[in-house]
Amino acid sequence: MNLIECRNLTREYHKADTVIRPLDGVDLDVERGEFLALMGPSGSGKTTLLNLIAGIDAPTAGTIVVDGVDITRLSRNRLAAWRSVHVGYVFQLYNLIPVLTAFENVELPLLLQKLSRRERRARTGNALEAVGIADRADHFPRQLSGGQEQRVAIARAIVTDPTIIVADEPTGDLDRPAADDIMNLLTRLNEESHRTILLVTHDPQTAGHADRVIRLDKGRFVSDRRPESVAEAPA
Amino acid sequence: MNVTRYVPLVVKQVCRHRVRTGLTVSGIAIAMFLFTTIQAMQRGVREATMETAADTTLVVYRKDRFCPLTSRLPRDYASRIGRIEGVVSVMPVKVVLSNCRTSLDVVIFRGVPKDDFLRDRHGAIEIVAGSLDDWRRRSDAALIGETLAKRRGLRPGMMFDAAGITTYVAGILRSDNPQDQNVAYAELEFVQLAARSGLGVVTQFNLRVADPSFLEPVAEQIDDMFRTAQEPTATFTEKAFVGRLAGDALELVSFARWLGLGCLVAMMALIANAIVLSVQGRIAEHAVLQTVGYTSRLIAALITAEAMLMALVGGGLGATAAVVVARVGSFALSVEGQSIPITAGVETLAGGMLMCAVLGVAAGLVPAVQASRRPIAECFRAV
Ligand SMILES: Nc1ncnc2c1ncn2[C@@H]1O[C@H](COP(=O)(O)OP(=O)(O)OP(=O)(O)O)[C@@H](O)[C@H]1O
Ligand SMILES: [Mg+2]
Repeated sequence: MNLIECRNLTREYHKADTVIRPLDGVDLDVERGEFLALMGPSGSGKTTLLNLIAGIDAPTAGTIVVDGVDITRLSRNRLAAWRSVHVGYVFQLYNLIPVLTAFENVELPLLLQKLSRRERRARTGNALEAVGIADRADHFPRQLSGGQEQRVAIARAIVTDPTIIVADEPTGDLDRPAADDIMNLLTRLNEESHRTILLVTHDPQTAGHADRVIRLDKGRFVSDRRPESVAEAPA
Repeated sequence: MNVTRYVPLVVKQVCRHRVRTGLTVSGIAIAMFLFTTIQAMQRGVREATMETAADTTLVVYRKDRFCPLTSRLPRDYASRIGRIEGVVSVMPVKVVLSNCRTSLDVVIFRGVPKDDFLRDRHGAIEIVAGSLDDWRRRSDAALIGETLAKRRGLRPGMMFDAAGITTYVAGILRSDNPQDQNVAYAELEFVQLAARSGLGVVTQFNLRVADPSFLEPVAEQIDDMFRTAQEPTATFTEKAFVGRLAGDALELVSFARWLGLGCLVAMMALIANAIVLSVQGRIAEHAVLQTVGYTSRLIAALITAEAMLMALVGGGLGATAAVVVARVGSFALSVEGQSIPITAGVETLAGGMLMCAVLGVAAGLVPAVQASRRPIAECFRAV
């Protein structure tokens, strides 16, 4: 069974008399452990699709079943609870909370779980360790470089051990070396920890890390490939 | 749900947004300082003018006169008043003020026959420093009310000069009665001489009746007795008497209630403003919290708690400062020889804090709920 099954997924916005349809009836299946990249021109609906799957936006029509649960039928509160368990979101602009340290930012999602303080701190430490930034735990976001901030953001996304990780242009604001760093990290998380990753990117080289690339245009899929050569290449 | 684990989050948000918190908290502190001071004045008014069931004191004043300078009554009224049924004691009092204005630092001299005074106040006053014997012995000796002593830094053995009267401080007296706070008690003849008024003339009579049921009939009988005399009288219970003489000041204090209300409104506006600005600047932050699974209700609670915390910190500072100033300064509003003490205590403080908590929540709730219910995806597009 597929981990994610989207059917006839449509998102519309109504502005006065016009209807904007960033997503126009797409079907998508993603297997557990897959590393999927979404590409396409600006405005093609990549972020829209990602947000729907991450449960932070609701479709106008269609269904999204993740791990057997149709999330389009969940109430606001249950959807929040679902996200806290199943989704780790990595943003282009990191979106760390400026008044919290790296450690405190990563700890944030764990506050929702029934954990002792000790377990919480241990898991936060492990996540920081996993992204290689444990030595910066006490630093505030303004004291970190963009690449380091993104590592912290990835730690925040994986700290709850979510079912899927979604990343919207996570390297969009970074230079090449920092971007490669982040992509290697995500690839490792996919290969070693078998995490399912959905990634949006404009950059073919970044997309090369994925085992599958889907191209969108005007809210529809225009291609869906598994570039074997890239999948086999060492990270 | 265990909410304590979110407390550090709220505290960090308040402590680490230093400028916002600093400005908001100081504004709240100032508003709360004013509010608490006004509360303390109103409390003083209540203490000075609200009758209690145990009151058995009447004050006889010259009819239609409203200040000690013009209220002149023959001292020998005392013996006629003393014969009325229900009257336990009569004490002639000569009042001299250091200052005719309504002011925070008026000294009230009361000339009284020493034996009458001690008999009348037996058990109601306590000498906290100095000695009663000293007071009895020296003709220029004065017993100083605790509040006045504190304000002017008076100790037994010192000479005290006010209102053109120089007295020797024989003792400091403590009493629950607001009218005993701001006063210097000296021998009647001494005050009369010092004030160059005749020996036969006093300002008022303070008399005690056997029980409260006598208050009304005795007052009526006295005023009837002197209705046709050269110096007719007007008799009141002590608290009503204070209310009558201090009427203008009381109106001012009661008007101050609106100022107090204004302080609260200003405080609420300040908190609401701080929260509105802060949630606007933190749209993405709250969207992140929603993304990682915080419910709208939890986020609204966190924001509201920030508002409440700022209100409590600012309010605590302001109210504490007001209570300290009121206590250390021992101020009393004096009007025509009557004292309205400014009294603030733990209850004033506790009441103020409760008010702050309620206002903080009330001011923060609406912006908090609005912020917490924004559609997440739109928040990320907005920044
Ligand atoms: N709230 C909204 N109201 C109206 N239109 C919207 C709204 N949100 C998104 N859109 C439109 O949906 C379309 C798709 O947006 P989306 O962000 O998914 O594109 P994208 O592929 O992620 O683009 P980019 O590469 O620039 O990030 C755009 O045309 C956008 O203007
Ligand atoms: Mg996008």
